[in-house]
This record gives sequence, structure tokens and C-alpha cells, in this order.
Amino acid sequence: MFSTLYIEEQIAEHPRTRAICERFPQATQVTCERYGEVFNPKAQDFRLQKRKPALILAHKHNGRVLKTPEGYGIGGRNNYYFSHMLNCLYDCRYCFLQGMYRSAHYVLYVNYEDFGKDIGTALEQSNNEPCWFFSGYDCDSLVLEPVSGFVEDFLPFFAERPAAHIELRTKSTQIRNLLKHPPIPNAVIAFSFTPAEIHAALEHKVPTIERRVEAMLKLQQAGWLIGLRFDPLIYEDNYQQQYASLFEQVCSPLDTGQLHSVSLGPFRLPRTYFKSIVRLYPDEALFAGNFTETGGMVSYPESLEHEMTDFCTRELLKHVPGTALFPCRLAA
Amino acid sequence: MINIVVALPAEARPLLDHFRLRDKQKNTAFPVYRNADMALVVAGPGKVAAAAATAVLAGTDKASTKTAWLNIGIAGHAHHAIGAAFIAHRITDHATGTSWYPPQILDLSTPTENMRTVDCPEDGYPEAALYEMEASGFFPVACRFSSSELVQCFKVISDNNTQPATAVTAKLCNQLIADRLADIEQLVNALTGLADEYTRWHAPHPELEQLSGHWHFTVSQQHQLHQLARRWQVLAPGKSLWLERLREKNKASEVLHCIQQHLDAITTGA
Repeated sequence: MFSTLYIEEQIAEHPRTRAICERFPQATQVTCERYGEVFNPKAQDFRLQKRKPALILAHKHNGRVLKTPEGYGIGGRNNYYFSHMLNCLYDCRYCFLQGMYRSAHYVLYVNYEDFGKDIGTALEQSNNEPCWFFSGYDCDSLVLEPVSGFVEDFLPFFAERPAAHIELRTKSTQIRNLLKHPPIPNAVIAFSFTPAEIHAALEHKVPTIERRVEAMLKLQQAGWLIGLRFDPLIYEDNYQQQYASLFEQVCSPLDTGQLHSVSLGPFRLPRTYFKSIVRLYPDEALFAGNFTETGGMVSYPESLEHEMTDFCTRELLKHVPGTALFPCRLAA
Repeated sequence: MINIVVALPAEARPLLDHFRLRDKQKNTAFPVYRNADMALVVAGPGKVAAAAATAVLAGTDKASTKTAWLNIGIAGHAHHAIGAAFIAHRITDHATGTSWYPPQILDLSTPTENMRTVDCPEDGYPEAALYEMEASGFFPVACRFSSSELVQCFKVISDNNTQPATAVTAKLCNQLIADRLADIEQLVNALTGLADEYTRWHAPHPELEQLSGHWHFTVSQQHQLHQLARRWQVLAPGKSLWLERLREKNKASEVLHCIQQHLDAITTGA
């Protein structure tokens, strides 16, 4: 899976580092002082590196738990996000990570215990009002689970703190560690989907919709709260047919009355990220489409965006209760 | 296209013969040899010379951001066998402590190692690293011109605890490189393949140059034209950008507007 492991000197002896190194005995181990020496240099090409990314094991010093941007959330007032990992094993062409980072290497912060402390602090600061902690913003929450043991480590933490809610956002089917645990009411496993045609064209290495629905169903039957995420909405001429078919395929096997939340969001990227991604993939049809720029964000023209959001909202309401639906719109 | 930087004529000789590099360029600060797809510069020993020769080669008209770069040479190591070859996965400048990490994205038979660039020959090999004298001069300079995935260092062990650096002769050096030509060729092919693919990804529309020569485009308009041509390549593959309607346009702005309209019609299905 990985032929090169970069290891920060500071965490070389961390038990999690040792365990991961043992898992990849054939991998070349390269030590570095700070992971930024490997991850941040300017002269790197994300697309070239995506052919064979390495794993960087690092220590996250600060900024571990951050407030989410305005408008991001699923009903709660106190919303935070955290990233135990940077970059994703999948290769979705619309993903903002390609524009955000110069390197396609995966960074895994092994000091989970510090993340736990900071989540605890955020919770205290909210006077024990319910807080939402979103994982899966800078990575997929579950895809590297067999290596990271992130869920394994964090579930007991959240089980003891009912006011702290966690969203694990994923496109993966790595649910074994979740199924080993009794479900907890303050964790939502949120699965992201795009229609089959988009999945085939843009979501490289992502499991099929069928396999993800199967994983979701297993979790729901085991008592876990499930979320559905249709974000970003991608335009194609026959998007109405594609999304109607997707909603049917995803929702019909589930007990939709038990769904925790369903959200959809239009395609949007900060202008600088969009430009970087177009530079990386000038041959990608997605970026040759019609886009506009509003307030530094690149998106579909407003009328098209509203048309798509409205259609998908109406269509989704045929399958899910309105109280569970959280459409996300671009801030004006 | 690949540019190779070596320190010594003895390192260069087997490469010149193997890759049929001739055509020695005159009037340059460093000897430069070429064939159609490759250039090789003999820098002389030391990181400063390596940096300067790399910059000189980059300044020649054939180098571009899609060029691969390779530093080939000899190195010492405490216990690696004489003749063993390695690619650098970390290069540390001994004098400053600065490190660089050439990304390892190619599937090659040559193993990788730490490399330490020293200012004068090292015979104690205090750390578990290859000791050599050019990599920290070469790598950061080459990375100013190409992406680091296209920049690599390849070294053959010439001295170790049992055979000191003082025993390294030009003849031995020549032989050590000659014995590793198969590995070098594999690396050269992999790097040039990557560089070629990178070039294809970023190839401008074939008619772009002709079009931009026909009307006067400002710098800003040239960027717009480039973007429109990119979209054209994706949305109308194989179709000529020279629309019949363009012939009657007098200004660059009219040309851009016309192409934009055509693309809008494609994307909106009008």
C-alpha cells in the first residue's frame, strides 16, 4: 500500500507510529524533522504524486480543533471540525484538496490524545451545550481506518461524552471497526454520493454505490445513525434523471425514518483552488463547463445552482422526512 | 527531455558512449553534450559547481518546466558494497543541515538511501548515509525549473570502510558507472516517460500559436485565449479553433468573444 513512510523525529517512538511501521515492513522509512519539509515545498505536482503517494506520520502541534465556516452544520449551534489526516486515498476530480495542497502524500497525525484534549476543551467552553465535531473535512474519515485505528481510538472517547457529537464522513466501506462497537447515539456515519455516471467519471478508486449502500445498511441495521451527503451536486445535461435514480437507489434499501440527516450542497471551490486544479487537470471536462465567480468562490451560475438544489430537494423529499434535510447554499 | 548533471569526466564517459551524446557545446562555462532527448553537463566537483552547471543547463533553450533532471555520480558509505547503486530519498546539506526529499513515485529496482552532501571528501562516514559532494547543489536548483518528482539523484558506491576514497581512480569511477548503466537507463526511461506525460497534460491547443500571432492580444487577453483554447480542446476535441466567423474579426477582443459564445452554446446546449 505504501512504499515510503516519512516519519517525524518527534513521534518516531510513538506507539501508533511503531504499529504503523510494523504494518508496512517493506516500506522505506525516511525520517524528517518536520513533516512540512516533505509536504509543503513549492516544486511539487499533486497529479504526479497521486500516482504513488507516501504516508507521512506527524505530530499536530496546534489548530487541532477549529470552528467550521458559517453555514456549515446539520442543525447544531456549536460546530467544529478536526482533521487527524490530510489528503484522501480516493481521487475525486472535484475535490478541493487537490487545489489546497501541493503534495498528494497522506499526512496522518498520530497524537490522537491531543485531539481528544482539544475536543474536551471545546466542549467545556460551550458549557456542555451540544457540540458537533466534523471529521472528514481534509480527509475521508474511514478509508484509512485499518491503518490509522482512528475510529477504534475515538469511539470510547465520544461514548463517554454524550454532549459531543461526531460526524464521520466517508465514501469508504471500512466499517469493520464500527461494527465491533455498540452504536452510540452521538455519532453519525455520513456517506457521500454522486450519481453513478459521475462516480464512474470523477470518483477514481471510490467503491461503487452498491457497495457503499450495502455498508450503510449494515451499519443502520446494527443501530448506527446514518447520514446522507449529496455534496457536491454536479451538473450534467440529464442531471435530473441521474439524481432521481441515485436517490432511489440510495434511499430505498434504508429505513429513511431513522436517517439522522440528509444534506446536499452545490459544487463550489475557492477561486485559487479552482485555478490550481484546472492547472493540474486542464484536460478534465468538469472544469470546461460554465462557471461563475462570486465572492472569491467558483460555482455554477446562480440560476443553475438554484435549479439543481431545488430539484434535488424536491426529489429527496419523496424519500426522506423534511426534518432530516439540510440543504446548503452558498453565502451571498 | 532529460538533463543529466555529473561532476567528473570519468563519470560522464560511459554515459556519453551509452546514450550517444556528442555535439559538445562550445563557449559555455561547462562542457555540455547532447542528443535529441538528452543533455549532459560536466560540472566539476562540489555543490557550488553542481548548482551552477544545473542553472546553465536550465538556461539553454531546450530546457522547460517539463524537463526531467538527474544527478549521477559516485558516493561513499560506511558499509554498502562498492558498486551498489542508490537513489536519494533524502538529501541533507552537511554544512547547513537543510534537507530535501525527492518524491519517490517511480517503480524502480534501485533502492533508495539518505544522502549527505559534504564540502570535502568524507572518509569516516559517521552517519548511515551516502556521502557525496553535489546533490544539495543540484537538487534545489533543478527544482526551480521542474517539479521535484522529475528531479532525482543516483549514486554508485565508490568507497567505504574497507576501501577508502583515496583509492578511487578515474578508471574505477568510469567502471562503476558503466556497470550500472542498466539501472541508469531504467531510471532515465522512467523519468523521461513521466516528463513526456506531464508535457502531454499541459500541451497547449495546437492552433493557439497561430491564432495568437494573427491578432494582437494583450497579456491579459493571451491568458483568456489560453483558457478558452483549453476549454475548446475538452468540449470540442478534434474541431478546429479557426472558426469561419473569426476571419471577419478585426480585434482580439472580438475573437475572444466569438470563441466564448461558441463554447457557451456547447455547454448550455443552445
